[in-house]
Amino acid sequence: MLSTSEYAVELRRVAKRYADIVAVDYIDLNVKYGEIFGLLGPNASGKSTTLKIILGLVKPDSGSIKVLGINAQEDPVAVKRQVGYVPETPRLYEFLTGLEYLDFVGDIYAVEMSEKKMRIEEHLSALDLEGREGDMINSYSQGMKQKIALISAFLHKPKLLILDEPLSGLDPKSARIVKDLLRKLTTQGVTTIMSTHILEIAQAMCDRIAIMYEGKLLALGNMEELRQKARLPGSDLEEIFLKLTGTEDIRDLVEALLK
Amino acid sequence: MNWKNVVRLISIEIRSGRLIRGQRLRRYRENRIFQYLLYGGACVLGLAIGLAVGNFYNGVHDPELKRLLDEGARSIFPSLPTLILISSMVFTMMGQIQRAGVRSSIQPPYWLPITWEEHTLASTLAHLIGVPLASIILFGSAIAAFSTFLGELPLAVFTVLALLASAFLASTTTEIFRVLQVRLIGAVYKSSGKAAIWVRFLGSLLFLIAFYVVWFALTSGAGFVTLIQVVAGAQEAVWFIPYLWLGLTLASFMSGLLVQTIIFSLASLLFILVLFYMAVKLNARFGLYEPPAITISRGVYAPKVGFLGKLGFSSLEAAVVRKDIKAFTRRRELMYIFIMPLVFILMPLMQQLGLFGGPVASEPSRFLFTWILLGPGAIMAVMLGTMIIGEEGGAVWHFFSSPITARSLVKCKYAFIVIFSCVVTLVCGVVGILVMCPSLDITVALLIESILLIFALSAVSLVMGIEGADFTEVPRPRMVRPLMSLVNMILCLVLASVIFSPLLLYAVTVGYIPLPVPLPKIELSIAVFISAVISLIITFAFYKIALKNAEEFLIKAEI
Repeated sequence: MLSTSEYAVELRRVAKRYADIVAVDYIDLNVKYGEIFGLLGPNASGKSTTLKIILGLVKPDSGSIKVLGINAQEDPVAVKRQVGYVPETPRLYEFLTGLEYLDFVGDIYAVEMSEKKMRIEEHLSALDLEGREGDMINSYSQGMKQKIALISAFLHKPKLLILDEPLSGLDPKSARIVKDLLRKLTTQGVTTIMSTHILEIAQAMCDRIAIMYEGKLLALGNMEELRQKARLPGSDLEEIFLKLTGTEDIRDLVEALLK
Repeated sequence: MNWKNVVRLISIEIRSGRLIRGQRLRRYRENRIFQYLLYGGACVLGLAIGLAVGNFYNGVHDPELKRLLDEGARSIFPSLPTLILISSMVFTMMGQIQRAGVRSSIQPPYWLPITWEEHTLASTLAHLIGVPLASIILFGSAIAAFSTFLGELPLAVFTVLALLASAFLASTTTEIFRVLQVRLIGAVYKSSGKAAIWVRFLGSLLFLIAFYVVWFALTSGAGFVTLIQVVAGAQEAVWFIPYLWLGLTLASFMSGLLVQTIIFSLASLLFILVLFYMAVKLNARFGLYEPPAITISRGVYAPKVGFLGKLGFSSLEAAVVRKDIKAFTRRRELMYIFIMPLVFILMPLMQQLGLFGGPVASEPSRFLFTWILLGPGAIMAVMLGTMIIGEEGGAVWHFFSSPITARSLVKCKYAFIVIFSCVVTLVCGVVGILVMCPSLDITVALLIESILLIFALSAVSLVMGIEGADFTEVPRPRMVRPLMSLVNMILCLVLASVIFSPLLLYAVTVGYIPLPVPLPKIELSIAVFISAVISLIITFAFYKIALKNAEEFLIKAEI
């Protein structure tokens, strides 16, 4: 069910509870086409649940979701065809080799054979996995698994990337490659929604940032708008984040721990 | 040695085995009554057996019978430590085999201030939790109750101590075996290179089949009696084997040979200590061993269309089937599935050949041939069907996040179950035909029947597998909820009987199964036809239900 929309992702009054825990508390959120959108928040603030709701991995209790103009609840398969996803802790098929895994993902998204071969080889080479692609994934380090998960998300040229802590465990060179790649993809109209705890990365990469806390959206906008919201002109994202989430006064806590 | 650390580590082992999964893994639940039920039950049963045997013993007044009973008791008591040793070794090794699929090993001991002695002792004692400990309690309580009638309380105490020592001895041996096999397997994989997967697959199968054949041979009626006779008769002849010293200690004690009792007691103690320290040293040397990476392919990557693509499977469906084939030949915890059909062929064949102490069959049994053709394939379909969704474990997010439809999911999973089970039937059929040379019409009818059973039971089990899927991976992959697995087994048994009933009727009418009243004969082809109709109806109905379940499964994705 396609519709014309200026937003790649639209969430309206979306809520999700787990028993007595409110994971997402009636949030409204719009992500523009071709932007890198950062979703920040302390642990258990509802970031991962929001990302899963967008992809259809978690069914919301209420609200509506449109992804790339498609009603995600009505036609989830159509949404999934156009999305690349990397979970926070990707559980890969560890009995497959890296190459077999990427081949599997390529087939799942029906990537044409010659293109699949080319893209797999290019990505393996760029992320320094050449020579290890024939080894079973269970012998890979955490960073290598993360690289494989990232490649699998890029493989079918998705229009929307949903990345939960995408740079976790990556070496500096690979992290830089992924960052540059995401930047280049925006010029091709690819939208990226990423969640991260590394605020420097969010500040450097994201066009707009949303800060979540206890399932609610505390602030949303570019760096300047966030500074205004926090009334901290000239400050960096860490100071804004700590102020907005009410955790800025950490000196006493550190003092107490040192006693 | 810090005994508190040992107790804490054992308690962790117990909890790791008892972790009960709720709908969402948030809270840890445990039922203390259930936890001790097995041991309490064993104790009560043991006491009841001891009292019953004691009462019977007291009631015997015939001196000849009394003498025979005394002799029986004298031969059984010294063989008990060896029997407990064997059973504990089997059970603790079974525990280790089950733990082979454990995803996350318990590593904190490696960086916490815990010594290898504490770690090894806790691991050794933890192996005994469950059936081995329950067996000791059962035998111990029975002996204690019975000995009050004999007026031999010191003998009872001595026997129970010997049983405990035997179990510890067995568990220590298992611990040594565990460490060595980790090291050995790693070395074998490293040297096998590309063939590592097949070495692992065939090696695991051979080991497990040998293990189960020995286990069934020992526990089958005739085999167990033979074992007791052998242990009781041959123990003294092979006194130089240290594992028998505990039994010999008891035999010496019962014969009143004090010096011999002391010598064997001390020798046993020394042997246990030597084994334990060997386990400690091996743990310290290889405990942190990481198996080398298994390299499966090198060279230029060339994607292929594959056979499945030519059969009409989409690239997505073919990819899932190929992935599942790799899973069942590479994941050790899934290799079990191949064991049961193989054991089910081997056991009746060995029984037929009189290898378990029973008589040798004079002619091939029709029942056996039927079983070999129908049993393994059907069992394979049931087992695969129930675990085919749950085996995805944490990686199930691939299905939820990828553009797979319910139709494709059911199609590829069902195809995989049917293909694998048919291959098993084919292999078993060839073995059965070669060994038993049955008539052509019976062979064809049973082969068709087997395939009909596979089609129907695969659909039934897939429904249950989707409904009861359990993606828990720690402490070991569960794959399906036990209750759903049980319900599926009962349902499959009932439906298989319904499908097979026309052939059963045929067997009755032609006199294969004798009846007092003769029935009019029905044609084999008609019986097979009716069976096929029943099977197709069941297959169709359950395939439809599977589609509906898969739709709900993909919509309700909650990971």
